[in-house]
Amino acid sequence: MKKQYALALALVAAGSGIAAMALNMVHTLPDWAYMGVLVIAFPLFVLGLGLYWMAREGEADIPFLGY
Amino acid sequence: MIAQLLFAVFFGLLLLGIHRKVIARIQRRPGPPVWQEILHMLKFSFKTTWVPKTASAILFVGVVLVAIGIWTAALFVVLSGGSLLILFAIYMLHKIVEHGFGLSSGSPYGKFGGVRSVISAASEIPLFVSVAAIAIFTHSLLISDIIAYQALNGPLLFTIPLAAVAMYVVLLSKMPFGPFSIVESKELVSGYKTEHFGLWRAGLEVCNGLKTYVLLLTFILVFIGGLPIWLILIVMVLILVTLSFVCALSPMLSPYDSVTVQTLIAGIMVAYVALLGVMS
Amino acid sequence: MNEIGGTPLFFLEFGDIVVYFTPFTLTLFILALIFTVFVLVSRPERQIDIAFGGDAFYDKVISLSELRFRRFMSIACGLACMGAMVTGDVFDFTLFVSLVGICNVGIVAAVKSRHVQNAAYQYGLVALAGTVPLFSAAAMVAATTGTLSMLELAKNAVEIPLAARALLVLGVMGEGMAPFYAAKAEMFRAPGAPYVIMCSLSSLLIFLRVAEVILLL
Repeated sequence: MKKQYALALALVAAGSGIAAMALNMVHTLPDWAYMGVLVIAFPLFVLGLGLYWMAREGEADIPFLGY
Repeated sequence: MIAQLLFAVFFGLLLLGIHRKVIARIQRRPGPPVWQEILHMLKFSFKTTWVPKTASAILFVGVVLVAIGIWTAALFVVLSGGSLLILFAIYMLHKIVEHGFGLSSGSPYGKFGGVRSVISAASEIPLFVSVAAIAIFTHSLLISDIIAYQALNGPLLFTIPLAAVAMYVVLLSKMPFGPFSIVESKELVSGYKTEHFGLWRAGLEVCNGLKTYVLLLTFILVFIGGLPIWLILIVMVLILVTLSFVCALSPMLSPYDSVTVQTLIAGIMVAYVALLGVMS
Repeated sequence: MNEIGGTPLFFLEFGDIVVYFTPFTLTLFILALIFTVFVLVSRPERQIDIAFGGDAFYDKVISLSELRFRRFMSIACGLACMGAMVTGDVFDFTLFVSLVGICNVGIVAAVKSRHVQNAAYQYGLVALAGTVPLFSAAAMVAATTGTLSMLELAKNAVEIPLAARALLVLGVMGEGMAPFYAAKAEMFRAPGAPYVIMCSLSSLLIFLRVAEVILLL
């Protein structure tokens, strides 16, 4: 995965989480929807951020040979 | 919510660090610092990451997302006082996550970890039994109702102690280094998570932190009742220390013995709740 | 209605057969959906094995026809599973559960390996035997109460015999035995991902759902 895409993913996830928090604070978004957004956004944010830090853009490797 | 979520991740990881420290001190080793698991999570997220050529790529990545997602959902279910049955479902689905982790990589070590996770299905039955025992008394499975019931009638820990023991065994079977942690036993390198390196492992650590926090929080809310948050955190650490003692002082069972012991416990618990049902 | 899995969110009526979503069944439904999508879009794993006595290694590839069949079975399994999660009718539930059993046999049996075929054959027998208590439970419920709708049954107008509940659980246990046999087949190194995960997932989900059904009845 390209690093820009990973960064975009992390930012979009974080942005939607924060937007949901803001909307929830002004009572536009019900609690269950806020939780739903976080359940989807949080894993994407974790992976997006990590991939932005250290994703390798080259060829994949074979980690293990079985028997 | 976001603050609570992040707090749960880091506090859960801190609990796992304390777990390692206590085990080490019991075994007269200095042990790692208590924040070691948090460092682990950060360290893994800084490591070079790719998807192995042998893996089933989308499942390999997707299962990490599902792992974090289901425990985030579990945290919110507990915080909003939702149904205990949903929590039970998420706990059982963690088994799928473990199987998915092991299965997707194409490595035999991971696969054996996943297979062990599948065959130790009996470890879930005590949780269902404690859910059923609670339902007999409170006539509701909503965590908010259970807390309200305990505010009136005293902690369920004293009303149905054996159900609490069942839940405790469930906690124990999910703790690392415990007698039942055959899924990540050392003869399988790291079991189901062997091939999930780098960022994927960092995601798994986040899931582990959340899982520990949610399970301990549920135990306290369901069997002791609603406490102020500082007291909950202290009780969490206390329960964790007792779990660490069990983990440090008992050897890891062989897969066969682990399944047998878990099935025996499940059988005893089913008989107990049947008795409770008849008596009420 | 007894709120075991939380307050029902909405009802979808097909005549007298009602599909309903509570937070509990919705959670299970979404998870079945997610994993079905994984199975749909994921490529199978490609194991690599060492040839003993040298540096050589060989690929274990799944042929296209086998891939297609297993993928079809897994998706069918996912669909049956989603049906079993949300249906509000005891007979539909047993029907979906037996469909899950059939699909699981298909997923395991598609691999051309003697050990895997053995495991699939044994599981097939168990699943076949499991349908007997499963459908007899539904028949007993219909005979004693005159209805199969869970929403009606949840009102507890007529007591449902304990034997019906026990048979229902027994039937689901028979159909949901698949992961043990899939594990057995996997032990012999058949490439399984992502299809075998459906065996595991579907049987866990039907166990979870039957727990709700039993508490509801």
